[in-house]
Amino acid sequence: MALLEVRNIEKHFGNTKVLEDISFSLEEGKALAIIGSSGSGKTTLLRCLNFLETPDAGMITVGGETLFDSENTAAFGEEAIRQKRLHFGLVFQSFHLFPQYTALENVSLAGKLREKDKGRWPILEKQGMELLERMGLADRSGHYPHQLSGGQQQRVAIARALALHPDILCFDEPTSALDPELTGEVLKVIRSLAQQRTTMIIVTHEMAFARDVADEVIFMDGGLIVEQGNAREVIENPRQERTRQFLARY
Amino acid sequence: MFMTVVGALNQGFIQTLKLFTVTLLGAIPLGLVISFGSMSRFAPLRWLTRGVIWVIRGTPLMLQLIILYYIPGRLLGYSPWGTGESGRFLASAIAFIVNYACYFSEIYRGGIQGVPVGQQEAGLVLGMTRQEIFFKVTLLQMIKRVVPPMSNEIITLVKDTSLARIISFQEVIWAGQAFMKSSHGYSGLLWPLFFTGVYYLVFNGVVTLLLGRLERKLDYFR
Repeated sequence: MALLEVRNIEKHFGNTKVLEDISFSLEEGKALAIIGSSGSGKTTLLRCLNFLETPDAGMITVGGETLFDSENTAAFGEEAIRQKRLHFGLVFQSFHLFPQYTALENVSLAGKLREKDKGRWPILEKQGMELLERMGLADRSGHYPHQLSGGQQQRVAIARALALHPDILCFDEPTSALDPELTGEVLKVIRSLAQQRTTMIIVTHEMAFARDVADEVIFMDGGLIVEQGNAREVIENPRQERTRQFLARY
Repeated sequence: MFMTVVGALNQGFIQTLKLFTVTLLGAIPLGLVISFGSMSRFAPLRWLTRGVIWVIRGTPLMLQLIILYYIPGRLLGYSPWGTGESGRFLASAIAFIVNYACYFSEIYRGGIQGVPVGQQEAGLVLGMTRQEIFFKVTLLQMIKRVVPPMSNEIITLVKDTSLARIISFQEVIWAGQAFMKSSHGYSGLLWPLFFTGVYYLVFNGVVTLLLGRLERKLDYFR
């Protein structure tokens, strides 16, 4: 069974339909890329999965547990949502690191807030250090965000998201705020996560990256899924005219 | 003569300091309450708060002092503030606290709204509660944004305390001015009034140094 099931998600902002009948599933250990032009609803979809937006209709299930069901919203109070959103991690386009904390503190803060037993904090810090090492940032753990390059900041943000062991890690255009040189180092990290079979959803404009790293791809346009399937097949041989138009520009 | 004058001015300056301190202690938290009111999602409360801020910031503090001190007495037939210096202090303190709280509230509003939404969203996604996000993420960033404009207001407050002179609150200017007529056995002295300027200058020097230190303390992040 698929780890993530998304069924018939719909979202409006006022009269504008941003997401329409979005359904897909994702197997554990697979990477899904979401591509499409700006305004196609990619980011809103990620924000729905992370409960930063509430869908108007539809259902979200992770590992058999229903996280969201528009038929039964009464069961989803703020506290319940807080627990449920931990199934997902989210890496933002513009990092959103906490500026007053060092790289290591950024990674371990949320874990510490959840761990009431302070005796276990050193363990969390050790895990934080290991994550930073995996990101190639062992020597930057004591640096504040403004002392780091954009690429380094984004890698800290990835470590921060991984620290809570989410089932599914989401990336919202993780390299759009970076120059090509820094983009490379962040993509390298995501690529290695894919090799370690991290379940991921990646909203991206890096087509070559999506083709090589993702297992599945979804192409969205105007709030709809136009085409989905094997990443390499869809990107190299799109079946839909609209997908072809979009990909022709890359 | 110099020591006598300085003694009298010191006494006045103690009143100045009292008003300054009480105003800060009252207006810093009250300003936060008002700023929440002015950002409320409940429109009537928001408009009421913004209306009050408009009136308080739009009229002179001196006028507010006079109205608050004299009008209730006119209407009631007796002064609710009590008599003498303690009554004048009470009325001045209330007028100053309300006035400065309105200015502070606008500074806070800017500080709160200046913290990017992304900070809150990052906290939410990491499973933090709204309280944790406010205290562990937003608050310090807000304080950092608020310190420079607050410094400005606080330095203005040091000097604005002299406005309470208008209802004969016996602060340092009042004490200095008294020597022009007669005070402590001297009369017709002009220099004590000018000398009060030294008090403000020295005190603002100290305030500036302290606030500068606070600003530098928050310099470690951006």
